[in-house]
Amino acid sequence: MKFSLEREALLKPLQMVVGVVERRQTLPILSNVLLTLRDGRLSVTATDLEVEIVGYAAVSGELEEGEVTIPARKFVDICRSLPDRAMVSFASADGRAQVKSGRSRFTLSTLPANEFPSVDSGDSSATVAIASAALKKLIEATAFAMAQQDVRYYLNGMLWELTADNLRVVATDGHRMALADHPCESSVAETSKSILPRKGVVELSRLLGDDEQIEIQLGGNHLRIATPGFQFISKLVDGAYPDYQRVLPKGGDKIIEGDRAELKQAFSRTAILSNEKYRGIKLNLVAGQLLLTANNPEQEQAEEEVAVDYSGEELELGFNVSYLIDVVNALKGEKIRLTLVDANSSALIEDPQQGSALYVVMPMRL
Amino acid sequence: MTIKILSPQLANQIAAGEVVERPASVVKELIENSLDAGASKVEIDIEAGGIKLIRIRDNGSGIAEQQLPLALARHATSKIDQLADLEAVATLGFRGEALASIASVSRLTLSSATAGADMGWAAVSAGRDMAVELKPVAHPVGTTVEVRDLFFNTPARRKFLRTENTEYGRLDEVIKKVALSRFDVGFTLRHNQRSQRSLLPATTQLEQERRVADLVGPAFMQQALFVDLHSAELRLWGWLGLPTFSRSQADLQHFYVNGRAIRDKVVSHAVRQAYHDVLYHGRHPAYVLFLEMPAAEVDVNVHPTKHEVRFRDSRHLHGFITSSIKRTVAADRPADRLAQTALGSPAAAPLERDDLSGQSSLALRSQPAAALSSRVGGVTGSQGIDSSAAIESFRALYGVPGAAEVRDADPFANTAAVDIPPLGFAVAQLHGVFILAQNAHGLVIVDTHAAHERIVYERLKVAFEGEGVVAQPLLVPESLAVSEREADLVEEAAALLAELGIRVERSGRESVVVRQIPALLRGSQVESLVRDLLADLLAHGVSERVAEQRNELLSTMACHGSVRANRKLTIAEMNALLRDMEVTERSGQCNHGRPTWTQLSMAELDKLFMRGR
Repeated sequence: MKFSLEREALLKPLQMVVGVVERRQTLPILSNVLLTLRDGRLSVTATDLEVEIVGYAAVSGELEEGEVTIPARKFVDICRSLPDRAMVSFASADGRAQVKSGRSRFTLSTLPANEFPSVDSGDSSATVAIASAALKKLIEATAFAMAQQDVRYYLNGMLWELTADNLRVVATDGHRMALADHPCESSVAETSKSILPRKGVVELSRLLGDDEQIEIQLGGNHLRIATPGFQFISKLVDGAYPDYQRVLPKGGDKIIEGDRAELKQAFSRTAILSNEKYRGIKLNLVAGQLLLTANNPEQEQAEEEVAVDYSGEELELGFNVSYLIDVVNALKGEKIRLTLVDANSSALIEDPQQGSALYVVMPMRL
Repeated sequence: MTIKILSPQLANQIAAGEVVERPASVVKELIENSLDAGASKVEIDIEAGGIKLIRIRDNGSGIAEQQLPLALARHATSKIDQLADLEAVATLGFRGEALASIASVSRLTLSSATAGADMGWAAVSAGRDMAVELKPVAHPVGTTVEVRDLFFNTPARRKFLRTENTEYGRLDEVIKKVALSRFDVGFTLRHNQRSQRSLLPATTQLEQERRVADLVGPAFMQQALFVDLHSAELRLWGWLGLPTFSRSQADLQHFYVNGRAIRDKVVSHAVRQAYHDVLYHGRHPAYVLFLEMPAAEVDVNVHPTKHEVRFRDSRHLHGFITSSIKRTVAADRPADRLAQTALGSPAAAPLERDDLSGQSSLALRSQPAAALSSRVGGVTGSQGIDSSAAIESFRALYGVPGAAEVRDADPFANTAAVDIPPLGFAVAQLHGVFILAQNAHGLVIVDTHAAHERIVYERLKVAFEGEGVVAQPLLVPESLAVSEREADLVEEAAALLAELGIRVERSGRESVVVRQIPALLRGSQVESLVRDLLADLLAHGVSERVAEQRNELLSTMACHGSVRANRKLTIAEMNALLRDMEVTERSGQCNHGRPTWTQLSMAELDKLFMRGR
């Protein structure tokens, strides 16, 4: 196999896929990327057996078709450190691959392409058409709430709930929850639920561009998105996601509205003197005003007063301030609205103007 | 097969299987008999690891002639009389089985004389037939039991005996255990006519310490703390190994309840818990501890060999042991240890602690205290340490310039009137890792990171304890499958769990739901925490899991929050650290049980350079 490409053209698909490659491997071939040259198109494939991403680049000029796998990180690092607009020529033979550019020459070890595992995509049962920017927004609005390495493996991912005209994504780590909706056209008749693993979510949001219409193909145990620039396949998490509807607080009668930027700054300042381990702050509500207080083990104290729209009775409750900060960061509107029931029930946070995303945060007993 | 009543001999041999397992168990039973008879001196003669001969002679009360055959009969004892006695056994033995069992598997001679009798009598029995023959014998007041050819009539048992050396080793272990329990009794042990141990009665604490050092090793005694604590009817005393003197195996753990060596789950768990957070991972604490409690509070009639006991109120006892030991270990400050190790307490001044082995103790005893004092550089009086002389001599030695010009830099300048703190004043930092400090005894070396880590850790613990429990209810409760017994426990112990910041509710016959956890443990695995907690509560009635997990977290925080190696410290910073160490609990070890400091006394330094030889 042989081809020449400009550095930028080669680097683009490489950087798209290299995030999938885990740094530490037990299976050596998984630290490699698969390069396939066919019909004037170079495909770069990386996988961790759960997520597979393929990036493409067009190749012209003198070439020899074929396929081979080479160490992913090393190849990316070489290409990245070459000068701008340099021509990179690649040739592989006899278990070695040679990369040449200008006066630099690198010889990399290869592994046979037929040993490279492919993620079986199977048949898809549903398709969704959605703008990539909208999907990206959905992921950005909720991804922070996903659990990390929780024993409840199904929480280490994002729930995609699809109805005929709506896509809803939900993420929770058991302490807080994020939920976002976007209308879309899909081929499903009934509600379909699938859990996309955490890594798939993170990689997908990196791939999504700004203005494209993409088609999502959902199968029994995989999700596939194919565009001219890339192909993304992720296995789905096999498990029952908790019933998020039960978690949504109902009957909240204490409604607070405030300026998002102002609250965000107040939260961040108060957080400095909260207990660094569990980050508790106290919220005191009186009519028209929200008082934030934080104490740390050194008996230092932070107090913030924020003017808010509130006319209910006085209320005191505690929160993990990091959870609140995450939410005010994820919301983009000018104002935010908190709906509370009492000091022991979960709080609902949303944008009062456009209600496409909802956040639920559990209070803390300080 | 028809059902028959077994012959008494056969029944005896079966019973012997429980009590008389090997020579060591014979020795244990016989010494206990001697001690129960009020002996103050016990001589033990062994031949061929006890397989050929075990002879135990005591100066106890003795047995009258007409009672000798009875002594060899099964279920015959003088130690208890009625049921009430069994409920509060004050003697080591009480079952009335040992002698009969031993007699049935060996050739046994029991010779004895009581005070006031004009001659001694011997009862001879040889194995199975159990015909006891009485004959007069010359014998001082007391009893001698001679056991020859153990297991001569039970080849199966004999086959299980190991080599002479192994058997002797186990036997010696038994004697050690007994000798530790009775300081007021002298013991001598001879093996194949060679004297192996000779322990004089020990009455003062120093003599007792020497005996402990002799039996479990001088290294233990050099790094042990003496404890003596009372609580209502309980008294716990003995020696606790410092956390830095830990063992890779649980082989230096001697626990006595009312003079009886026992192995007990409750006790070992309590001690282990007390050493939690000062012991290096996977190490075992060393201790020799004596618990005295009302005999009625403990049931020793659990197992024929009486290694196991049952406590009436094990939860209270567990708490008492844990808190006593914890307090003792925590209170170990550099000042105490220096007073103990480097100089010896004033009372023990003539005797160096190094010399607990006992061998050369006589020579040293006669040495005047002053000789030792001059070696360490000026210890005078019996109260505290007069430092001025030492400082003067150091100054002379190192040629430290006059006090006036270096007043700020030289911390020794003003110390003529002020005592030097136990860890002294910092002199320099070595390779950014160790602090070198000079105190009254010589050189102190401190591991900066380890020491600072402990200080930060203890501070964090105090701070977090003061904050109370902050609980985080779960948005998505976690359900667990547990056993029915554990689910019951969840309901019973709801209040206890709530105190820890945990709310668990039963959701079915064998399932529970965790609704709230301590906010600090947010990132940890809830399921395993709750499971461990319930298992602890089931087994011991108390659980420190939450505190342990919390401490683990704080320990990591402390590790990150303390100065690392290669951080340059100024003299003032180093001195501040030394002062902090002196007032911090458990400052002798870092969070992982590594020692934080060590002392090289002037004597030791002199030795290195062969000064004064």
